[in-house]
Order: sequence, then C-alpha cells, then structure tokens
Amino acid sequence: MSRFIATSAIRGAQGVVKQAEDMLKDALEKLGPDVPIALVDKEGVGTTYYLPVIYGYSGHKVEKLGDMTTPLEHAKSLLPPVPSENLWLPYLGETMDAGVATLFAEEIIEGIRFAKGEQPEVRNGYKFNGPISDVQTRSWGIQMVDGSMPGFAAVIGAAKSNEVAVKIVRELQSKGQLVFLSSTSNGRSIVDQLLEEGVELGYQTFTVPFGTDTISVVYAAGYATRAAFSFGNIAPGNWREILLYNKFRCFAFALCLGPMDDLKWATGAGAITYGFPAICDTVVPHILPTGITKYEHVVSMPFDDIPGRDDMERAERLVQRCIEVRGIKIKIPKVDIPVAFGPAFEGEVVRRENLRAEAGGKGGTCFEWLTMKDMDEVEDGKITVVGPEFDSFEEGAKVPLGIVVDVTGRKMQKDFEPVLERQIHHFMNGAEGVQHIAQRDIAWLRFSKSAVDKGFSLRHLGVILHTNFHNDFGAIVDKVQITLYTELDKVEELRKQARVVYRERDARIAGMTDEAVDTYYSCTLCQSFAPNHVCVINPERTGLCGAYSWLDCRAAFEISPTGPNQPVPKGKCIDPVLGEWEGVNSFVYEHSNRNIERFTIYSLMDSPMTTCGCCECVMAIIPEANGVMIVNRDDYSMTPCGMTFTTLMGTVGGGLQTPGMMGHAKLFITSKKFIPVEGGIKRVVWLSKNVKEEFAEELKEVCEREGVPDLMDKIADGTVATTVEELLPFLEEKGHPALTMEPII
Amino acid sequence: MAAVEVPIEKWTGKVHEVTLGGNGRKSVVVGGESTLPFLHFEGSLPRRPVIAIEVRDSEPKDWSPHLVDAWGDVLADPAAWAKKAMEYGADIIALSLRSAHPEEGNTGADEARKNVDKVLSAVDIPLIIYGPGVAEKDNEVLVAASDVAKGQRVALGNCEEKNHRTIAATCIADGHVAIGKTPIEINLAKQLNILLCDVGLSRDSILMDPTTGALGYGLEYTYSVMERLRLAALGGDAMTAMPMICTAGEESWRQKEAKFAEGMPEAWGDHLERALTWEEITAFSLFAAGADIMVVRHPGTVERMKAVIDRLMSESA
Repeated sequence: MSRFIATSAIRGAQGVVKQAEDMLKDALEKLGPDVPIALVDKEGVGTTYYLPVIYGYSGHKVEKLGDMTTPLEHAKSLLPPVPSENLWLPYLGETMDAGVATLFAEEIIEGIRFAKGEQPEVRNGYKFNGPISDVQTRSWGIQMVDGSMPGFAAVIGAAKSNEVAVKIVRELQSKGQLVFLSSTSNGRSIVDQLLEEGVELGYQTFTVPFGTDTISVVYAAGYATRAAFSFGNIAPGNWREILLYNKFRCFAFALCLGPMDDLKWATGAGAITYGFPAICDTVVPHILPTGITKYEHVVSMPFDDIPGRDDMERAERLVQRCIEVRGIKIKIPKVDIPVAFGPAFEGEVVRRENLRAEAGGKGGTCFEWLTMKDMDEVEDGKITVVGPEFDSFEEGAKVPLGIVVDVTGRKMQKDFEPVLERQIHHFMNGAEGVQHIAQRDIAWLRFSKSAVDKGFSLRHLGVILHTNFHNDFGAIVDKVQITLYTELDKVEELRKQARVVYRERDARIAGMTDEAVDTYYSCTLCQSFAPNHVCVINPERTGLCGAYSWLDCRAAFEISPTGPNQPVPKGKCIDPVLGEWEGVNSFVYEHSNRNIERFTIYSLMDSPMTTCGCCECVMAIIPEANGVMIVNRDDYSMTPCGMTFTTLMGTVGGGLQTPGMMGHAKLFITSKKFIPVEGGIKRVVWLSKNVKEEFAEELKEVCEREGVPDLMDKIADGTVATTVEELLPFLEEKGHPALTMEPII
Repeated sequence: MAAVEVPIEKWTGKVHEVTLGGNGRKSVVVGGESTLPFLHFEGSLPRRPVIAIEVRDSEPKDWSPHLVDAWGDVLADPAAWAKKAMEYGADIIALSLRSAHPEEGNTGADEARKNVDKVLSAVDIPLIIYGPGVAEKDNEVLVAASDVAKGQRVALGNCEEKNHRTIAATCIADGHVAIGKTPIEINLAKQLNILLCDVGLSRDSILMDPTTGALGYGLEYTYSVMERLRLAALGGDAMTAMPMICTAGEESWRQKEAKFAEGMPEAWGDHLERALTWEEITAFSLFAAGADIMVVRHPGTVERMKAVIDRLMSESA
C-alpha cells in the first residue's frame, strides 16, 4: 500500500494513543477510577452499548473510568512502528491495526471528556450533537436496512467555500445519505460553513454535527457498530462479523475536504476496517485495489481539477464519485413525468384522432440503441434532446427519432446490452399516452395529444428510462444517460451505426455454443403449477416458453440472485453426444424435488427435458413414419398422432419426463442442437403450418446447413395430413429422408 | 385377510419451529412437523396447530351481525375483546391495526403504540400484529408496534416483497417474528423467505402466509400451493420450511354465504350455521393442507376447530 499513507496513519495513531494515555492517567488521578462513563447526545439521550467501538471490537464494557485501562493497553499493543525509510511497500495490515488503535484511543478520549463534562462540544454558543443516541440509531437503522437510506457520509474538514459545503450536503441528502459532520481544515469546519449559510442541522434534517476535531469522527464508527448489533444480530466482541456487516450492508464512506493530516489518515485507516472508503478532495495517493472495502479504498479527486462548469457542478461530481466508490444503488421513488405511469397503461393504444406525433412505423425513421460505456463516460441522469421538440412538429407528424442510451455499472456486461435494450419497450409503454411497439430499428412510438397537452415532452422519455433502469436493474446498472435525436440526417447516420451493432449482436448470439460455456441456467418460474419441472437453458436452446434465452437468464440472475434463474454448473461430462452432465443431473434432481434423476440436453428419446405447460410447441414421435411431428400452440388442428396440441400438452406437461415427447420453443427447431441424437431436423415429418410460415427463411437456411435444401417441401402439415394414414403416402411420395434413417425406436 | 402394509414415506426435511411469546408471557411454539398433517404413523408432529382470534383496534363497521352478536360490547375495546377472545380459547391474539388504514381513520404510530400496549397488558398469550395492509402505513404502525412489544416476541405482518426489509429490520432489532405474505405462489413464497434471511432474519423468525381464499373462492388453489410448499419442506428445502399461517376468518366472513342473511335460497338453511360452517370448513381444509396457525373471527369456530384438532392430534387418530 501507499508508504506515504501508512507512515502518516501510523504516526497519527501513535500520537492519539499517547494523548489518550496521558488523558487517562490525568483523569484517573483527578477523578478516580469509579467515575461513570456514558456517551449521550446533546439532549442527554445515550446508549446501552458502553463505548460502542471498543465494545464491538473486544466485547469489553467500559462503564467507569477505571474500565478504560484494558482497552488502552489493547490499543497500545496494536500500534505498529512507523515504517522505516527503506521500507517501500509497508504491509496494509499494520496500518489497519493502527486504525483500530486510533478508534480505541479516540473513543477513550471522548469518554474521558464526557466524564469531565466537556462533551458534546459547545463552541461559540453552538452545541454540537455529539454521539448518536440508541433511539435514533434504531430509527435510522431500520431505514438503512430497508434501503431508503443507503448509509452515511462522514464529512471531515471544510469545503472550498460555503456554497460548495451546502451543495455537497444537499447532493448527499438527495442520494438518501445520512450526513455526519466533524473536524476542520485550516481552522474552518464544515459545520461553521453550513451554519453561516443558515442550514439547519440535527436529527430531523439527517445532518449530525459531531464536533470540530477529528477525534469526534469516532462517533460514526460507534453508530455503525451499534447498527450491526441491532440489525445484524451480532454479539459484541464478534468483530469480524461486525466489520463484514458494515462492509456489505452499511453504505458509508468518508469524504475528506481539505488537507489531510496524520490523525485524519489514522482515523481513515480505522474507517477502512469497517469497509468504509475515503474520498479526498485534495491530492493524495490512491489506494485503488479492492480488498477490505468493496471497491477502492482511498480515492483522490482534487476539487479544482474536477471537470465542470463551476464549483457547483464540481461538487455534484465529487458526490457522484463517492456514490460510485461505495457502490451505492440509487432508487428513485417516482417517475417524474407530467402524465401517469404504471402497468395499467401498458396496453394502451394511441389512435389517429388523438395522435400528436409518431416516430417509426411504416416509412418512419426510428431506432433505439443501448450501449455499455466506461464509468467516466456516463453522467448519470443526463438527458439531452438533439433537435426539435414536440412544439415544432405539426399535429400528427411523423418525426425521426433516435433513442440512444448509455449505461455503465460495476456488474454490467456487454452481453446484457440487448437484454436491457428490450426493456425500453416495456418501460415506455408504462406512460399514459405513449404507445411503443417493437424494438431496435423497427421501433414505433406514438404520442397522444392529451399527453403532450399535459406537458409531456421527448425529454420525458429519458426520465422514464433513467428512473426505470435504476429501479428495476439497479443490480447491474449504476449510471444511465439518454440522448434523443430528432434531426433526420443525424438519426439516419446513427441508425446506420446501430444496425452494425445489431448485426454484431445477432452474430454473437448465433455463434454462441453450448461448448463455449461452463454454466447453463435454470428456470423454475413455472414451479408454481408444475412443481417438479426445471428448465435447463443452454446457449443453443432457449427456454421452452420461448421467452428466456441463456443470456436473459444470466442477466436475470445478476439482477435477482435469489430468483428463479440460477446458474447450473455443467460439471463433469457424462456423455457429450446425449448432452448429459453431472452438474446438470444433480441440479435437476435437487430442484425437481428428487423426481428427475437424469436429464439429457440433446435427446428426445433418452431422458428428455421435462415440460411445464408453457411450451410453444410439442414434439412427439410418429413411429410409423420413423420421425417426429411438431405442433404449435396456435395450431388448433388435429395432428397425425391423433391428438391436438391441447391434448398433447396435457400428456407431456406438468413436469413429467416422457421419452418420445417434449415441449420446446419455436426457435429451437432452427438450433444446431435440435435433437442431434435422433438426427436433427431431418427427423421432422410434420410441422404446424404457421411455424413453417413464420420461420420460412430461418428454416430454409437450416435445411441448407443440414444438406437437405428441399426438406421443407417434404414436411407435411395440417393441410395435407391429420392422420398417419394420410401422412405416410405423402412422405413416400416426397421421399422424406426420415423413412430411410435408422429406426428411431 | 392379508394385512395391508401402510406405505411409509421417508422424509428428510422438517418444518422449522417458531416460538411466539415467552419472556413472562405464555409461549406458543409452532412447526416441527416431519410429515404431512396428522399422519402420526409416518413422522413426528410435536406441536398442535393453533388458533388465533382476530381483534381489531377499532370497532369494525361492516362485520356480519352474527359476529357482532357473538362479541357484543367488547368490539369497541381491543383490550376487553382480546381478554374475551382468550376466554373463548384463543391460543394467540391477532391484533389488526385497522384504524391506520387511510380510509378507516388513518391513525398513526401513536395510536398503534397505545393499542398494542393495551392489548399486551390485557392478555398473557402471544400476539400477532397486523398492519392495515397498505405498505406505507404498515411500515409506520408496525415499526411503532414492534418497539412497544420489544422482547415479547410477537409476529408482525404482513411483510411483502415491497416492504420486507423494513419489517425484517424491525423484527431483528426487537426480536420478533415476520409474517411473509405472498400471492398463492410457491416461487414467490420461497423467494420472500430467502430475501428475509438475506436481510439477516433467522429461519426460526419467519411465518409464511401463502394467501387464501374462502371455501368456494379459490381455497383449493391455496390448498395445492400449501401442500406443495410442505412437500418441498419435507423434501429438504429449508427455504420453504417455515410454518404457515392462514386467515380463514377474514376470507370466509366476507363472502356472501357468511355475510348475508337476506335474499338467499331457502335450501341454504340457517344463516348462522351456514356462516360458521363456512369459516370452519375453510379453516379445517387449510389445517389439512399444513397450516400451523389459523386466524379466525367467530368464537364458535374456535370451539369446533379445537374439538377437531384434539381428535386429529391424538395418536390413535
């Protein structure tokens, strides 16, 4: 780690421990060991957790002055020596020990000050809050656990100016962060700055002034420790659990404004043990690797070097950076647009009589394109409209529209782009008076007169996307910016670029093979009515409902790690031809309530996948024809096996394993892994006409790929055969390849 | 005649045991089953299913005259009501903070504190505390109720996906049990249990309400879902192995068969008998599906259910 920081922190720790030792000696002489110690806030409301940091770390109860000797000795024993001149890479652990020693010493000092009646601090007639009471900890703790308040920001020092101080606090509050204030820089405290600007401080405004020295920062650690006691159910002394609780559940950080000194570094080291990173607005060394904190440990962001038009914008970016470094997820309570928003409007149709403007559709130019960018390329919430707005369009006009969305996130992956892009449809339809159809470069939007009359503008499309991506996909999306283009040449130019990307994506998905991945995904969404059914979804076979591809499942798992799409590690391969893996078998066994022991991915006859009831198609063997038939859900006709889709569905559905019968998605027929064990598409002797038509082009390609270009003409459908008696002569006449293939049974 | 051998299923899982009350208050433990309901020959059923009587913090305005007759004056006083419910044999009082509903008084945290405190002092059996069923208000009044009842290990509900963190946090902080309610769906029920555990609530501090309809109003759907949940639990899935609680009273008494005396076909018979039967059959079916706690409204149902449970829980049943 940084030698500079280690040296400074250890020096700071030694200093403050010495200070605590001297103060304790003096206090013991003057007050005696039996003076009670109690931390209380300015209203006199206290805590039942003694000196909470010491209690949390060691389980040691400090009830009176004499009880402080043990933790003081503990702190002294933790103190490492200052790294020598030629030790260039000091060990992080020693600095952390110094940090813990610092927190112990600071809490001892505050305890003694309380015994002497010197706390909470009073300065120029203003009484600081001091430590936070248990009552308040409980009330805020619940909000921290339920996510309405992600964590706290310990602001240390003073901002560049009073205006910046106010802006920083307002920005932190807007992200739901609790704000703790302490220490000074160059003799100024942020508390002074805020008071001068008339900002009200206190529990009610979620801003708590601790004191004007760095020692009072320890109250923040005391608050965090008590949150872990109450809401993590963690016993005092179980320091490891307390620190982990805070690392993963309390989204706190230190924001250091102004020059750093030894004690600030030492205190910062203590904060890092809790997983709380420090962001400094001055030039300091970084500690970037992830480890004790979730992401970076120390980040330097010199205030005047932050890009921005003015200090206000710089302050905003500084806070934004803090949010990123701590990994705080923003929830936006409401879609802030002038029309109603909700699922009730999803099916809404905007008719011509009520049409204010439309984009895309027949002869229109419209596209939507979502791209993953680097963290620093995206400014969260930035919405730009390039070109004219509604007021410049004639009523009923068809306008060009390009919707370009840039997202970034620590857990975002390039492969999630199409998954998120498809959400645009769902999100936009939620707005009253907005109709959205299709996606990509065939997207078609209609805006109603009444919506535009209420003040709905194109900009609001951006608001809808920004809000919903954060709220629904916050697990993978950290920042979203949206640009809407309405100038024809610009839209056409960008659409050209977008089309290149669409093609690349399609090629990538088409090129994704089962062999290239070591994990498949499960879908147990249907267990509500087919309790023993498990879908295993591989890159070359979508879920049998047609709604979930392997990529969708992977994204769904990132978004909702406890949801119905779980990773299924393939494990050892049992049979590459049948597509049987140990990992898949054991997953299916466990999740089918121990009903299905074996499961092959590539065979219809040997332990095929089970079916819930949602499949788009059912496949069944026709032994007489030595082949299989496929009937689609929308095909109501009788089939050669003597059953309609519905009857077949009843036979195969419900999570049963039925060799020779299987539910699947329409698209599966075009997969290279379409029943390869039985010979692939050459086995298909009958196929619902609507599927033939819907996938005409794709099927043609598949037949060519399989070396049977005229196969489609040889496959029967409901118009030529609904019985085996009708089917066989047709196949004979056409010379269907299945007739001469090896017996399917 | 050849002896018939009864097939015995060997289950690997067991329902978690959840304790309510204690700490000076009588305690009730539910769960612990290692077989399907009442199959004594197959596994162990260490705890009796129990009955909770619904008590409201304000006088109900739309209740059936039969319920009003049965309870009389106490309807206006939650403490007296709770006391009387205990006399009628309730194992648990299910206090519903209905007055916090925006359309039924919109009272807040202070009123909740007062009423919970009153009922806690009036009875020495455990409490279930329900919010008005509007997420925002639930959070407000249940957090307050939780604080007042700290250490008394009450059950707080309902806890749904949208407010589960708040309820879980307050349960952890004050040592209570959360009632996770999901809309008749196995996955959602399981997922909510996982989410509650993720927040840090222990497995023995969660009850599941799978949501039910009354007899004739979707009861069979809940029955299947509960059965599936219990089968999964017995099969070894710890995240479906929470004891189940059902609200038979509320569901039955809002259906026309129970609610209305006038204008019904003569063949439907005596109104009171019909209404009681409705609540009773609903409650019994849900016990048979695996419910551990049943919340009912009429004292008569308590008596009838207790008699049935007595018989079914005797080893010779």
